[in-house]
Amino acid sequence: MRRSLALSSRWTAILVVISALCCLFSPAISVKHENFKTCDQSGFCKRNRAYADTAAGTNNWEAPYRIAPESLSWKNGQLQGSILKTVNANGETVRLPITISFLESGSARVVIDEEKRQKGEIELRHDSKIRKERYNEAESWAIVGGLDLSKTATEDRGSAKSHVKYGPDGKFEAVITYAPFGIDFKRDDATQVRFNDRGLLNLEHWRQKIDKPAPETKEGEEPSPTPEVPAGEDESTWWDETFGGNTDSKPRGPESVGLDITFPGYEYVFGIPEHAGSLSLKATRGGDGNHNDPYRLYNADVFEYIMDSSMTLYGSIPFMQAHKKDSTVGVFWLNAAETWIDVIKEKEAHNPLSLGIGSKFETKTHWFSESGLIDVFVFLGPTAKDITKVYGELTGYTALPQEFAIAYHQCRWNYNSDEDVKDVDRKMSKHNIPYDVIWLDIEYTDDKQYFTWDPLSFTNPTGMLEQLDQSERKLVAIIDPHIKNKDGYHVVEELKKKDLAVHDKGGGIYEGWCWPGSSHWVDCFNPAAIKWWIGLFKYDYFKGSAPNLFIWNDMNEPSVFNGPETTMPKDNIHHGGWEHRDVHNINGMTFHNATYQALLERRKGEIRRPFVLTRSFYSGSQRLGAMWTGDNQASWEHLAAGFPMILNNGIAGFPFAGADVGGFFGNPEKDLLTRWYQAGAFYPFFRGHAHIDTRRREPYLAGEPYTGIITQALRLRYSLLPAWYTAFHEASVDGTPIIRPHYFQYPSDEAGFAIDDQFFVGGTGLLAKPVVTEKAESVDIYLPDDEQYYDYFTFEKYSGRGKHNIVAPLEKIPLLMQGGHIIPRKDRPRRSSGLMKWDPHTLVLVLGKSGQAKGELYFDDGETFDYQQGAYVHREFEFRDGVLVSSDIGVNGKLTEKFLRCVKSVGVEKILIVGAPKSWEGKSSVKIGGGEAGLEFHPEEGNKAAWAVVRAPKVAIGEDWKIEF
Amino acid sequence: MRRIEALVLLSTLSTSILAAESSRPRGVGPEFAKFYKAADSFTCISNPSIKLDISKVNDDYCDCPDGSDEPGTAACTYLSALSPPQPIVGAPNTTLALPGFYCKNKGHIPSYISHTYVNDGVCDYDVCCDGSDEWAGVGGVKCEDKCKEIGKEWRRLDEIRQKSARNALKKKTELVNEAQALRAGVELRISSLHVEIKDQGKKVEELKKKFEEVERSERGKVVKSAGKGSKVTVLAGLAKQRVEELRDALVGLVNKRDELRRKVKELETILSTFKEEYNPNFNDEGVKRAVKSWEDYAAKKDASPESDESAEDRDIESISKADSETEGINWAEWEIEEESDIEALYKFEEYLPASVRAWVHQKLTDLRILLIENGILADNASSGSESKAVSAARTAYQNLNDDLGIKESSVGDLTKDLEKDYGPNDIFRALKGTCISKDSGEYEYELCWLDKTSQKSKKGGGTTGMGNFVRFDKMYFDEEVDAEGKGLGTGERTVLMYENGQHCWNGPNRQTTVVLACAEKDEIWKVVEQEKCMYRMDVGTPAVCEIGQKKADPKKDEL
Repeated sequence: MRRSLALSSRWTAILVVISALCCLFSPAISVKHENFKTCDQSGFCKRNRAYADTAAGTNNWEAPYRIAPESLSWKNGQLQGSILKTVNANGETVRLPITISFLESGSARVVIDEEKRQKGEIELRHDSKIRKERYNEAESWAIVGGLDLSKTATEDRGSAKSHVKYGPDGKFEAVITYAPFGIDFKRDDATQVRFNDRGLLNLEHWRQKIDKPAPETKEGEEPSPTPEVPAGEDESTWWDETFGGNTDSKPRGPESVGLDITFPGYEYVFGIPEHAGSLSLKATRGGDGNHNDPYRLYNADVFEYIMDSSMTLYGSIPFMQAHKKDSTVGVFWLNAAETWIDVIKEKEAHNPLSLGIGSKFETKTHWFSESGLIDVFVFLGPTAKDITKVYGELTGYTALPQEFAIAYHQCRWNYNSDEDVKDVDRKMSKHNIPYDVIWLDIEYTDDKQYFTWDPLSFTNPTGMLEQLDQSERKLVAIIDPHIKNKDGYHVVEELKKKDLAVHDKGGGIYEGWCWPGSSHWVDCFNPAAIKWWIGLFKYDYFKGSAPNLFIWNDMNEPSVFNGPETTMPKDNIHHGGWEHRDVHNINGMTFHNATYQALLERRKGEIRRPFVLTRSFYSGSQRLGAMWTGDNQASWEHLAAGFPMILNNGIAGFPFAGADVGGFFGNPEKDLLTRWYQAGAFYPFFRGHAHIDTRRREPYLAGEPYTGIITQALRLRYSLLPAWYTAFHEASVDGTPIIRPHYFQYPSDEAGFAIDDQFFVGGTGLLAKPVVTEKAESVDIYLPDDEQYYDYFTFEKYSGRGKHNIVAPLEKIPLLMQGGHIIPRKDRPRRSSGLMKWDPHTLVLVLGKSGQAKGELYFDDGETFDYQQGAYVHREFEFRDGVLVSSDIGVNGKLTEKFLRCVKSVGVEKILIVGAPKSWEGKSSVKIGGGEAGLEFHPEEGNKAAWAVVRAPKVAIGEDWKIEF
Repeated sequence: MRRIEALVLLSTLSTSILAAESSRPRGVGPEFAKFYKAADSFTCISNPSIKLDISKVNDDYCDCPDGSDEPGTAACTYLSALSPPQPIVGAPNTTLALPGFYCKNKGHIPSYISHTYVNDGVCDYDVCCDGSDEWAGVGGVKCEDKCKEIGKEWRRLDEIRQKSARNALKKKTELVNEAQALRAGVELRISSLHVEIKDQGKKVEELKKKFEEVERSERGKVVKSAGKGSKVTVLAGLAKQRVEELRDALVGLVNKRDELRRKVKELETILSTFKEEYNPNFNDEGVKRAVKSWEDYAAKKDASPESDESAEDRDIESISKADSETEGINWAEWEIEEESDIEALYKFEEYLPASVRAWVHQKLTDLRILLIENGILADNASSGSESKAVSAARTAYQNLNDDLGIKESSVGDLTKDLEKDYGPNDIFRALKGTCISKDSGEYEYELCWLDKTSQKSKKGGGTTGMGNFVRFDKMYFDEEVDAEGKGLGTGERTVLMYENGQHCWNGPNRQTTVVLACAEKDEIWKVVEQEKCMYRMDVGTPAVCEIGQKKADPKKDEL
């Protein structure tokens, strides 16, 4: 208690200081909390939480849901039947069809619907014309495969339970209990995941509104709680709901769905981005260090968001992993409506039936969404890699980006003119700072009308794009979903004429406010709208665009300045008669998708990998491009927050992620900016960005020593691009995150489970811990094993499980190489990644304790889809017993040979061996086939490892070869 | 692979034949040829302890820690303080020995290009017109030799530039002459003013004496002034004075009121625009409150009936007009002396014979002065009603004295002006008072020499001051020069600092750094907002041209 008191007073002091600072430097920087709902202000959240409290507070609580055994049928790996929900004391029930599918991939899926709504036997209020069913199309947006039913699953039905064996070698089992309904998912006979363990299953069945004589309430007065409501049925949040001056008409009444999911034996849960907080999710029902509100998923444009919060942000991925020593399991809650997730962590499982091995801990989660189906996938691992793979089979893997997209992006709101862009471009070259992409925020348009250029300041976009193209650089321009409502603007006129916009509850075209003022929103749920949108990007339509112009989709939550919670009213209507309520969290992805489709082929026959950055996202967005963490701030706290957020996104299937380097709001001090570039060099998506009111901060403006240090960080990124690209390739084929947290790489090492400020880069064995604190002189880096580690820059040695101190003055990035890996690099600095294409590689052999090393390299043309026909190089390098071998691990295709011919001149210029054996002392050459190459050996010096260099081995990167040491 | 090698070999061969006279390795400039003369070995230029076999020169692998063994490839480019640090053995000299890759550019001017641009697949014709930087033809790139046409075009433009430079120097001479003439004019004016002042000083002295005499003699007069007339006249005098004071105060107030009204109007416009345009997205409580208060204020204002201010204004206007015979009070009527009986008594002197009269008058006056000086009688002169003779004398004296003051101060101003910094040779004296402007995107910018800078948006709104001239300065720049010779180039440039312009919302007062470079005519080339509300204006003017000065390496830029 005293501790917490002391803590809180310290917090108060910090807050005072912070707020004082804020007052000094800028208008108060903090999220406008009152703009966003707390659980208590969200009707269904309040109801479901109350339901959970009632259940917990009731002795022998029995959930009113049971399976009607006679309804069950098993076919082809699928169990179908009905759940009966008892709705009143008279025992009346409603029928809820349930389908449990066991999939070939080893995952299981449980879908629960409501018969009455399914059949349309309900009445809508307010003469609404919307659909009567629960939204059942989330699958068509999020899921792209992996739904094949298991051919080997078997059902064993009993009178009270049904047992289904499934999964690899039948090691998984689902035990379905009829009454009350519940499912235990087991792996190797141990329960890993339980449904309805706490009896919180809740599917609000349709009911008619019975108008009671409303108690007289004077205008402006809070309606007093009506005493005559039957106990347990608090109707106060069932019907029209008002927040922030906007009333939601809720024509279908209350329709939320909820379910508790327990992970017996699991202490850690990760995932469900996007939130600004730690990788390891916290408990959400109050208490010291915990959150008070559930984690919320309701995509929103949160202005100046705060740290360490369960508050919602711009995107949603309702996918969670639970982890304990040597086991990871996961659930995917496929629902596009507003969703909240309560997390409770308990030590000592109180449930005696819990069969989890060593079930000292138990994490209990409670998921509820405002509408739609209960549709949950369960993954039983046993590794995190298994889970991200299976999840990726369902929702798709990360699109393999064009190579430039993983290089450095220079952005600012705004570069003021085409001349300004050209000037920055020249200056970057002049200062020898590599960059690939320069960005334009909204000001490039003519009066915020997308697909136009400001006629005064962007008079020659083509000339600008041509200059960029000379050094293979690109331009990204912003295009948002709000279309300015202005007479004579061809885009809005077509949008209206073709009726492709989102509608309001009355059926008219919805009008709201965003950057351009009065605007309409293109409804990308509508296939016709997508088709139209694709047409807008053709070069002859979007005048001034060119093949090296790519797109940034912002504000696609959607952000509506005058809407409730800065977004659309929930009773707006989308294509197909679905309410915005049903589809909100998917909305951003549909817009991102339309733009992706548009960039595929802007000119007939010119098919390129699109690059589209999105702010809003959902499960599946990884197929379409990159995301960034939105409008952060130039503060050390925000710098530190970046990695946990990016790691969380990565394990949730969307690893192409980054935070704005430098911080969007505010002016970073030079040391902060420098540290941010050092951190950004490890963001999968690496972009510097700045608010319009901030001072210019292009890297060359910082001055020495900062500019030099920043350039080193940028060049580090560029020299490691072959390794990054290889990691992106891996993510694109099996969903493995690009930067990987400790629990993911070392599932047995309990001390590492909560670590989220250091990580591994792909499979390279690079362990990075960029400095994210002010005035740091050193960092403590944690080593998860006893392997030999080396400082990346100096080859200083570190070994032994546990923490090691690395001295890290401003110019130093704490970056270690783990023994046992081979890292591909390209060390020649160029203006852009495109100009590095023909440069030779450097291979870094980092020898481990065993004296062996292994690594991979993947590359292709970095631009087209030819790699799908084999136009790529995929090599494995292995060093053992004094021999380094390069072997092909790709699969040949139609275009393989052509590509290999094309890259024949690309070779290996140098092989660096870190931790070279002493026995090489005196050795001066290595054997390569018939010839040889020089070897230079440098003995150990103090704590610095011995190293050696193979000079110009003259081997081609795409060919088989062998080097004998 | 073999074919490529053969090609490479061939091209190396042909280059060596072509360059037979020097047989320098690829990329080596003539000044470094001496280091590459040995037939069988090469010594790293800055690290003579490292000796390599000649085959290691230009073999696309970096051996020398100073990069000197790879003059013709990009192999040593990673040797840079800007690249990630790598372990170094011993303590070699890692300063790059070569300035770059030497492009012979036959038919044009030879040049060095950064090694990082060698064999990257881009023909960098702006530096290497012969395309020799892409000798390996990576990715199939072919850079044909364009030196002939580029050289020709360059020479054509260079001629124009030379001509322009000559013209600029001529113009500069003209400016210097003009400035000198202006200076001479000022000096002339000063000296003539000095003469005038001297003369006038004497006159002033005389008039002063005269005035004092008149005043002295007037003091002796018992009563002659209007003031001493009737009480009414005195009152009228006082009233007139008072009315004048009040009128002045009123006019002042009205002006102040008008100024405030204008400000209120401006603020109201700002607020109503603010209300129209504010972003409700951000739901900033402060902003919301402000908007609400503004709405209330506006509503209140609409509700209260507009009092008829025009009538009031008319009244004030007529009141504040100076009184004359036709308007307001005709003070003249009240100033006419009325001869009262009492007055007549004083005129007894008139009954005396002329000779006696003068004597008596003199004696009386003397007596009176004596009495006044001894404090026995009151002094009329200071009672505010002096005789017309005295005021005439005073006016004459004062006018001339004031004029003298003006002349003296203008001598001061002019002298100060002569001492003021107008740049070398006083050259900006010739430009002061003139302005140039540039249309640039959304804005029209104006520079008034040694005065102020401003911008005017084409999207409406007034002119915004971007700073007032405060001083000259010098700064180093390293910028482009375009084909027409526009641009700052490299080197120290004269800078005019303009500070304390209009305040920026959420930012500092605007300021402009005006950077000058030589050009034939005065022209604003470019205006950039380097930081919020901190502008830089690149301006060409003959005023800063120097003989023999080149703004930039001519072989590198200006293509």
